[in-house]
Order: sequence, then C-alpha cells, then structure tokens
Amino acid sequence: MSEMVEVIVDDQTFHAEKGSLLIDLLIKEKVKVPYFCYHEALGADGNCRMCMVEIEGQKRPQIACDTFIKEGMEVRSKGENIEKVRTNILELELINHPVDCPTCDQAGECSLQNFYMDYGLHDTKITIPEKEKGLKKVDLGSNVILDQERCVLCARCTRFTDKITGTHELGIIGRGDHAKVSTMPGKKLDNPYAMNVVDLCPVGALTSKDFRFSQRVWFLKTVESVCHGCAKGCNIYIDHNKIKYQDDVIYRYRPRRNDEVNGFFICDEGRLSYKGLQENRQHEIVLDNEVISEDEAIEALKDLVKKYKSNITVIIDANLYTEDIEAILNFSKEIEANVCAPLDIYRDEDFKDDMLKSAQRAANYKTIENLSLETKIPEKCELLINFNHPGKFEAERSIDFRTHQDPDAAFILPLASYVESSGHITNEEGITQHCQKALSKNDPLPTVIEWLEKVSV
Amino acid sequence: MSFTFSNENLLKIEALKKRYPSPKALTLPCLWMVEYQEGYISMDAIEEIAIHTDTPPMEVYRVATFYTMFHLEPQDKRTVQVCKTLSCKLCGSDEILAHLNKKDLNIVHAECLGSCGTAPVMQIDDVNYENLTIENVDEILKALK
Repeated sequence: MSEMVEVIVDDQTFHAEKGSLLIDLLIKEKVKVPYFCYHEALGADGNCRMCMVEIEGQKRPQIACDTFIKEGMEVRSKGENIEKVRTNILELELINHPVDCPTCDQAGECSLQNFYMDYGLHDTKITIPEKEKGLKKVDLGSNVILDQERCVLCARCTRFTDKITGTHELGIIGRGDHAKVSTMPGKKLDNPYAMNVVDLCPVGALTSKDFRFSQRVWFLKTVESVCHGCAKGCNIYIDHNKIKYQDDVIYRYRPRRNDEVNGFFICDEGRLSYKGLQENRQHEIVLDNEVISEDEAIEALKDLVKKYKSNITVIIDANLYTEDIEAILNFSKEIEANVCAPLDIYRDEDFKDDMLKSAQRAANYKTIENLSLETKIPEKCELLINFNHPGKFEAERSIDFRTHQDPDAAFILPLASYVESSGHITNEEGITQHCQKALSKNDPLPTVIEWLEKVSV
Repeated sequence: MSFTFSNENLLKIEALKKRYPSPKALTLPCLWMVEYQEGYISMDAIEEIAIHTDTPPMEVYRVATFYTMFHLEPQDKRTVQVCKTLSCKLCGSDEILAHLNKKDLNIVHAECLGSCGTAPVMQIDDVNYENLTIENVDEILKALK
C-alpha cells in the first residue's frame, strides 16, 4: 500500500492514498461533484468535463477524474466560480438535447436532469431554433434501445464493451454534432452482459426494451436482494410497484454493487429472470385434479404421512432459503423421513463463463453441500414429498410443494417464490447474503416455513 | 464481396510496420491505401485492416467515420472539391460553383486548399486546378473524361 497523504477539500481534511484519483476520494467522502463519463468500474475518460474542481495553485479549474492526489492538495468543489464553469459545460451538453423528459424512461434517475437542477437552471443562449436531430429508436440488439438525441457522448457504454466484456460492439462514430454511439453496420450488440449499458448510461439514451414505458421510476419501490439465477449470488435491487387495484409486480432487476461478489454488474439472463417468477404460477391446492381447501389439504397430507410412516423421502430444492431448508430438516426428523437434495440437475456447463456466470444454477447449493445432505434419492420410495425441486421422481405417491405449475403432479401445494419471502442464501464462494422480501401479494401464498407450521401442529 | 490488399500495398504495410511501436498506428495509412485502391472503404476492407492493425473493427470504423476524406460507400460521381475560403471567394469561386452545380458531379465545399495566390482553386483526385475560369473548368473536366 502506498503512502497516505492529507488532502483538504472545502476546508475539510481527508486522508487518501498518494497518486489515487481525486474523484474517487470525492465520491467516497460524498462530496457533491457532478460527472457523466467517470465510472468506478470503467475508469477515467475525461471527456465530459463535468467534474471540474478548483485546485489551489492551479491557474484553471481541473477535472477531478484526471487529477492525482498529492500531499497537501487544497481542493474547492463549491463556490461561485466553479459553479459557473459547471453551468457552462452543462449548457454545451444541452445544446442538442431534446429535453423530452416527460416521455423519457430515465427521468427521475437521470444525471443530466439532476445536474441541471443543481448547476443549470439557466435559459438557453442558443438562438438557432434547430437542434441536431438524431434517430429516436435504434435497436442495438440484446434488448437495448438507443435514442441518439439524448446521448451526451460520455462513452461509458463503448468503454463497457471495450474493457469489461471485450466484445467491442459499440463505438462513437462521426464527429462534432454528428457524433453518435453505434454498432458496426449490420452488426448488433451481442453479449450476455449487454443490458448493463442501460444502467451505465447516465441519461436516457440507452433504455431497456424490457422496461421501456412500463413505469415511472419514482413510483417504484426498491428492495435489496440476491439473484437466484446461479450460485454466484449477484447482488440486485428489485424494483416493484403495486398499482392501485392491481397486484404487486416486479418491473426490473438492477445490479447492486458488491465488490466481493459481482462488482457492478449482472448478466442479462439474471436480470430478466424476474419474468419467470411471475408466469405460470401455481395458486390453488390441487388433489387428483380437484381444487381443495387448505384445511382439507393439511388433513390429506397428514393422512398420507401416517399411511407411509416408514418410507417417506423428502426432496429439497437447492434454491430455497437456508431458513426454509432448516425447517424442512426439522420436519423430516419429526416424520422420520429420508432427506435428499439431488444437485446434478442444476449443473449447466453451457451457462458458465469466466465473468459472473456459474455452472451451478442453484442459488443455495453451497448450503446443501455444507449440510452434506444425501444427493441420491433411494431407488424405491413410497411417499415422496418434494419441496420445489425441479426434477421428476418415481414414487408410489407424491406430494409436491411448487411455486410454478406442474401438470404431472397429483397432489400439488402452492409455494411463495423467493421474492415473496425473505431469507439467507450462501453463494458458491461461501458468502452468506440476505434477501429482503420484495412483493406483498394481494393473495399471499404460504412459504415453506408457514406450510410446515400448519402441518406439524 | 471480399477485400484483399494489392501486393504492392501489402509490401507497404510490412515496411510501415517496422516504423511504429504498435501496429495500431497503421490504421490511417491502411485506410488511405484502401481509399486509393478501391475508391471507397467497404466493411470487408475495415475487417481486413483490423486484422493487419491488430485492433477491433469498431475502432477502425470509428476512425473511418471521423475523417470526411474517407468514403464509406462507392462513389458513382466524380468528386470535385471547390475552395470556399476567402481568396477564392473574392476571386469568383461562387460563379465556378454555380457552373459546376449544373453538372452531374459530387461537389464538396472545401476549406482553404492552400493555393491562395492562384485563386480560385478546385481539387480533383489530389490535383489542384488553379486560376479557374468557367471556360477552363469545362476543358479540365473534358480532359479528365
């Protein structure tokens, strides 16, 4: 580790590593500094010029993202002078901006909008009424739509495809007023992490085809959770909203920064995995093609357990929360059942890559491994109680707790999905993380724990 | 429609490669070679340059779009660059332009072509034609056909 030095920012003293970037210190210490192009994952580019600060001894304002920390540096991030500089730069950014915030999906989480409220608030000096026009809807591929007019040319998206994915699909073509983000003619944005450019885009130039025009962002409620797409355990924000007279619905997943697990990004498949949670859900309790009430179901379940007393097998899905797994283990002990959790079915070598995707496509498989549960089911089992395990198993009689519909199941009991309950999961690196409950449904389905409480009384 | 460099150009590329620390520096010379060889820069040519310069095709494409001298589509008309800067303007480039505009040509308004002493000037295929009058413009164009 290199030497720590003292830096004064707006009369406050901070300590920072010598030679590190000034903007990193400002972001870390929550000093308000506007920027479009800088991103901690992509590094400095220095093209937007918004992060200007005054440095004692320097003639002109300097950009914080290209200033290295030196001993005894005195920085001013506030004041009339520097704010005027920022206003002027912002004015340049806004020359060709269409200011179509009312129809823009980014409105509410747009850097340009925020900075205008902080440093702009000016009347335009441009007397020519024509703005440089661009295409409003360019399908770049991979669910990403480009609006050329809104772009501020910060190059975050192009740097993402250059530095992070290394696929080099995006670039800024042309120059001056005509410069725009584009793919090669006839080529598309095509990589499994492409939708991260939508989050990276500080303005509404890149929007997600999936989320476009579905909600205004200020109506969305956000909870912190973990993606269940694979064993990597990428941290996410779940944005959901309950529109009046309708049910609580997830509108999007966004990556949540966690340097220990996923860094800044998530894969597109994980990002869109919320859709599967809202389709083909099982809502009723069905026994032999007949919808029955909860009380009848509990009675039937108890009868079956009593009948097959000596030969019951419980199967656990490796996506369940650790709390749920523990409850199942206790229940199994109570009814003296074999417990097993077959893991082979989750393995998907095609899914794996060397960024974030893991071949183990079960979020909590590490807990199953740690508990050293049996992974092979017995050859012959009479009664099989399956807790949402995706596999198909032979048995004389089976009871299926399912989040999703299963046409083969004879006795099926609906389960809440992971976004409808909370709990912990342990990822493949052994990091245990908490998932908050996101959705409060109008007709909530019981969780595993709730079912087992009802059954065991 | 694939593109290959002529043998002569390939030799040039090999010679130039020794001059620079990284082959990326050959992007502009290669683009010029393609422009002269084919008259325009096709996407196949860009892919080919990307291989020679060891850069992503997108990077080459960006450079090609940045400079107005490179054409990305085949040119069906002869390109004539007419100087629109001060000396030529004063010496009557407007009339020359008006005359040329009647013809089936691709007219480009160029900034100073560096020949103010012999204004007005136009440039066709890297050659400056100086001291233009309406009559000698016609002669020049006739001679070129």
